[in-house]
Amino acid sequence: MIISQYPGLGDIDTITDNFEQAGYICTRRIATVVYLAAALNKPILVEGPPGVGKTELAKTCASVVARPLVRLQCYEGLDEAKALYEWKYGKQLLYTQVLKQQLAEILSGAVGLRDSMQRLHEFGDVFYSPEFLEPRPLLRALEQPDGAVLLIDEVDKADFEFESLLLEVLSDFQVSIPEIGTIEAKSKPIVFLTSNDTRDLSDALKRRCLHLHIPFPSLELERQIVTQRVPNASATLTDQLVRFVHAVRELDLKKAPAISESIDWAKALLLLHADQLDTHLVHDTLNVLLKYEEDVATAEGSLHKLLGPAVR
Amino acid sequence: MTSAGDQLLSFIRFLRGQDIPISPADSMDAVRVAGLLGYTQRDTLKHGLASVLAKSEREAAIYNRAFDRFFSTEIAVNPNAASTPDTSTGDGDGGSGDKDAANTDLNTFKQLQTDYPEAMNTDQATLAEALLRGEASTVALSIEAAATAVQLNGIKTFTQRGQYTRRMLDAIGEGGLRGLVIALETASDPRLPLVQQWRQVLRERIRDRVERAYLVNAGGATEELLDDALKEVRLGNVAPHQIQRMKKLMARLARKLAARHGQRRQQARRGQLHVPATLRRSLPTDGIPFQTRWRRTRRRRPQLLAICDVSGSVATYAKFLLMFLYTLQDVLPRTRSFAFSGKLGEVSDLFAQLPIEDAIDRVNLDYGGATDYARAFSEFSQLALQDINRNTTVVILGDARNSNSDPRLDLLAEIKARCRQLIWLNPEPRSAWGTRDSEMLPVIRHCHTAAECNNLKHLERIVDKLLADTKRP
Repeated sequence: MIISQYPGLGDIDTITDNFEQAGYICTRRIATVVYLAAALNKPILVEGPPGVGKTELAKTCASVVARPLVRLQCYEGLDEAKALYEWKYGKQLLYTQVLKQQLAEILSGAVGLRDSMQRLHEFGDVFYSPEFLEPRPLLRALEQPDGAVLLIDEVDKADFEFESLLLEVLSDFQVSIPEIGTIEAKSKPIVFLTSNDTRDLSDALKRRCLHLHIPFPSLELERQIVTQRVPNASATLTDQLVRFVHAVRELDLKKAPAISESIDWAKALLLLHADQLDTHLVHDTLNVLLKYEEDVATAEGSLHKLLGPAVR
Repeated sequence: MTSAGDQLLSFIRFLRGQDIPISPADSMDAVRVAGLLGYTQRDTLKHGLASVLAKSEREAAIYNRAFDRFFSTEIAVNPNAASTPDTSTGDGDGGSGDKDAANTDLNTFKQLQTDYPEAMNTDQATLAEALLRGEASTVALSIEAAATAVQLNGIKTFTQRGQYTRRMLDAIGEGGLRGLVIALETASDPRLPLVQQWRQVLRERIRDRVERAYLVNAGGATEELLDDALKEVRLGNVAPHQIQRMKKLMARLARKLAARHGQRRQQARRGQLHVPATLRRSLPTDGIPFQTRWRRTRRRRPQLLAICDVSGSVATYAKFLLMFLYTLQDVLPRTRSFAFSGKLGEVSDLFAQLPIEDAIDRVNLDYGGATDYARAFSEFSQLALQDINRNTTVVILGDARNSNSDPRLDLLAEIKARCRQLIWLNPEPRSAWGTRDSEMLPVIRHCHTAAECNNLKHLERIVDKLLADTKRP
């Protein structure tokens, strides 16, 4: 058995229990992959439709292992200055000012150009040194002394070039800075990458990750999740709601409701003091579940057909 | 462990045969994963291996099927024997009854050995005893030895399975058991069913092993062979039962092309200094370059116009071309398509609204009929000539047979003059160009490229070139 530096990820059953206590119900599949990631020190690439709990998985993992969560949200145009590191230009400018004043002191008594250069060399160059480095999320995650959970969210939104930038961090847990050299992780972080499948990721990136596809949950699992997240909702309501949502997912929609929508809807219904579904209630609150006007219209068109089996 | 490890490696080989790319690094990861999770919990192993071997939903589907076939629950060696005697250390109730049965079997076996010494030589005896005791590893070992002896990895086709099973059985010495069965039969011995049962178990194990060898060594190869053959079949001749396979193949080709051409390059962001422009800018300030000018790559917006003849003779080809172009929508931006035979009309909207299949049927319905190129060209010019510019590629699919009337090639010349590239695809073989009412020879003069296009290989080559050209800055 490999002893991971992260507590609470020792074996698959422990992971399932710990995550459940932290409010995340994970399938055997998810627990297995998290276990492997911790044991093999490999990043996890989490894919699946929006709202099935990809980001939540990373957050829960951070709370289970009690390490800081470092999050990098990807978007088009994200570059190394925002993801890896940046120089503290202001401080560097100040440094040159200070240096100028000190220059006379350093060079006093030097005879000739050669001697002056020699003194300058001896002085040492701190202009490009870790003190002037402003760490961005990726570097910050590597610098955590006890490790961290690094979440690279929606990596498919970033540019193609950014993926190449990630490769070094993901496979060797190190960052190369031309002026300084290679900075290695103090302690290897647990890395989650999430993707919504808006485009195919490069093979190089895929190769470095463990793959985890989270689909929409089964009826039973979703009932558990909603109960866990909205414990005050009555069992009847939860049951009916989950059945209804599952029926809605069968429709031809622009965006099928995910778990997060189910939970939101359950919360909304709870606020309205509902303890079971009826046509009126659903009609009034359907916009919590469905985010497009067309989808709402589609669902309303077949409301009776959907609601019948759910309420049964 | 080693036999399980071998099984994992051959599983990986099998997946590769199924067109899942698995690098050596991936297989090393798979071995580490299997080492961590062990082989005892099948589901856990399945989840774990999936995370390193299946990298997309498509691959996951193949993986799941392959895993179930490969790591099927092993056929019990002796139904009466306790599962694995070397590990089960007296686990209380239930197991003991089975053990008793196994012991009775073992006694019967010993008796048989003394009764029929000529049918049971030593090799046979060891094997039979292993079967009886349920020693899976010993049995597996002799099966592997037999597999090596008959060079089981040479299996190539489906029909060879019987032959190899026979050879394996001979190599492992099943002949002796056969002799025993005959001897028992003539003596009408009551122990006959028992011996037959052993024989059956052994046969099943071997058949299973041969099946696996076939999957590993031939499964992938046969698929590849079929695909290769299909790539060269004339699109008009694709048999209905091959359509599904054809579609899969096209989707795969499209994916390949998309991956090859899909990478966006953003070279413009960090430009180099444009020295001539900077100098020019510096003239007003007496040659001091106050304002810098940077080189930047010009962004082009390529557009593709596809004009397809959908009259009877060419319709199938048009169908495949359109299907291909629309699977490539992600990398081929702004495709407009037109269909004609008698009249011509734009069908882009149809493709936007309907699934490709239905759209193609609708197109055939709306625009089918006798071909009239003159009318097609003039109607196309009215519809789209305005929009053709130096970024436009025009692809025309047709056989250029115009029933001996004037095809108005002057209109074609006008299109050529305005666009970046005019490509004519003709499903007829080159030798038929210009025969009878074919206007192909004069048409060639009015195109940048004219190519024969009647199978998937042609189509792939042409679209590949098309993508390379449209993407070039």
